[in-house]
Amino acid sequence: MIDNGLLVQMLLGALLGLSVYLPLAAGQLSLATPAFYAVGGTLAALLSTRWSALGATADGHLPVASLVLELVLGGLLAGALALLLGRLVLRLRGIYLAIATIALVEIVRVAILNLPFTGGAIGIFSIPQPFSDAGGYLLNAAVLLALAGWLCQRLEAMPLGRAMSAIREDELAAGCMGIDTTQVKLSAFVLSAVLAGSTGALAAHFLNTWNARQGSFDVSVTTLAFVILGGSRTWLGPVLGGLLLTALPELLRPVGDVRLVLFGLVILLGPLLAPQGLITPALLERLGQERAEAVEGNEP
Amino acid sequence: MRGPLLEVQELSRRFGGLMAVNRVSLAVQGGEIFGLIGPNGAGKTTLFNLISGLTPASGGRVLWRGAAITDLAPHRRNRLGLARTFQNLRLFEGLSVLENVLVVLQGRGHDRPWIGGLVNTTSHRRAERERLETAWQLLQELALDGLAERQAGTLAYGDRRRLEMARALATQPALLLLDEPAAGLNPAEKEQLCGLIQALRQRHQLTVMIIEHHVPLLMRLCDRIAVLDFGVRIALGTPEQVRRDPAVIEAYLGSGSRQP
Repeated sequence: MIDNGLLVQMLLGALLGLSVYLPLAAGQLSLATPAFYAVGGTLAALLSTRWSALGATADGHLPVASLVLELVLGGLLAGALALLLGRLVLRLRGIYLAIATIALVEIVRVAILNLPFTGGAIGIFSIPQPFSDAGGYLLNAAVLLALAGWLCQRLEAMPLGRAMSAIREDELAAGCMGIDTTQVKLSAFVLSAVLAGSTGALAAHFLNTWNARQGSFDVSVTTLAFVILGGSRTWLGPVLGGLLLTALPELLRPVGDVRLVLFGLVILLGPLLAPQGLITPALLERLGQERAEAVEGNEP
Repeated sequence: MRGPLLEVQELSRRFGGLMAVNRVSLAVQGGEIFGLIGPNGAGKTTLFNLISGLTPASGGRVLWRGAAITDLAPHRRNRLGLARTFQNLRLFEGLSVLENVLVVLQGRGHDRPWIGGLVNTTSHRRAERERLETAWQLLQELALDGLAERQAGTLAYGDRRRLEMARALATQPALLLLDEPAAGLNPAEKEQLCGLIQALRQRHQLTVMIIEHHVPLLMRLCDRIAVLDFGVRIALGTPEQVRRDPAVIEAYLGSGSRQP
């Protein structure tokens, strides 16, 4: 039921979930992830279709090195954009920041729709493929997700990550305790953008076509749902949320049209039954203790 | 003799039609415990907010070791050596007691936290170990080490007050602003707090500025006291001078008290 193609989509979902999680870990509700995703994807689509040095070789395949370069460039462009815009939008808090980032998503979407070189409503198609089947994408997405997870895990043991959680808890007190809140929030925002940009670059190749609809407000809502369902207190939450909610519509396909109702129910019931999300620090601690006990029990 | 550690010159803050702080001037000398009293709404907390940078001033200046810091952001003032606690307690409630202290022990110039932290270099690990040690020392000093793993939001009131002090001390301040540290404590705890503040001043070479409603405690603790009323400084001097000041008696008891 789960083929490699769906697995790649699930991993891409998990990556976008992490991109929403990072600013949220610093208490910032940013819905800008689709904008940076679109920027990364568009850049990759343009580079590989218009620039022959990066494009496909004679046999129709894109060199993997080109793909990696596009992932890096997509991330860098999105990150640079976030660095410029972050100082502006991060002056806003809470719901106002959310609204400003929705506006950002719209601006990017309309820009990609109307720019002379992005293919208008049809978008860019026949994006060259670096791999002959989904297996290569799966490996690539898995490596990207592993990198992102490692980054999030390391953050928890670093001053930056701790400063992020302090700002999430009480921004004003954090400032009074010497934490440069603007800088920390900006760092989280830029990291989030880099992740979304790289994910977009990979997605553009995987999907084979790219257009303005890839980074729409719908994606803001979906990716936010990843985090809400999975939980926003540890990075494993958004990963699980992204995997589950991307897979669910496909897994429910056999039940026919009711699947959208079921999908809606999951999104509705998830937060009701687990307000903190499916994965919470308390749950991880309990699992850790049980494992420790199991290990002790095994000892002679 | 050196100049004052902190100097406030003609400092004002207007909220609409209300002068919450009205041309207040005072100077805090290094090493002293400086009290701030006044009836409710006198502008004491606003003055603390002006000094720590949470509220921009409408007029006047704040000087730190002689240099103006009136326009600096709160985190810059903290890094200069100015730390505070909050009247209504603003702990990082979702974090553990230990994390509350650890969070503010940022790399103070001795390590660039980025790359080293990501790949977990030896210098990063050493810095982390030092931070942990410092955090534990502070928790021990404030008798919080037994609660280190507890979530800060679940602590008893008195423990939260001490955790706020531990967190402020973790930033290695020269001046500690305490906003009603004895509020909500029972008499025995108030007594302990008094000793604690004196001990901390000794060990950390602190200058302390303290807002407190419990006047007997302040009278014993403070070297000098300023009295605010309706945003105006109406008295400044030693506890004994302030106690006898007619303006203070009037502010607290009303003008009727002067009549026989």
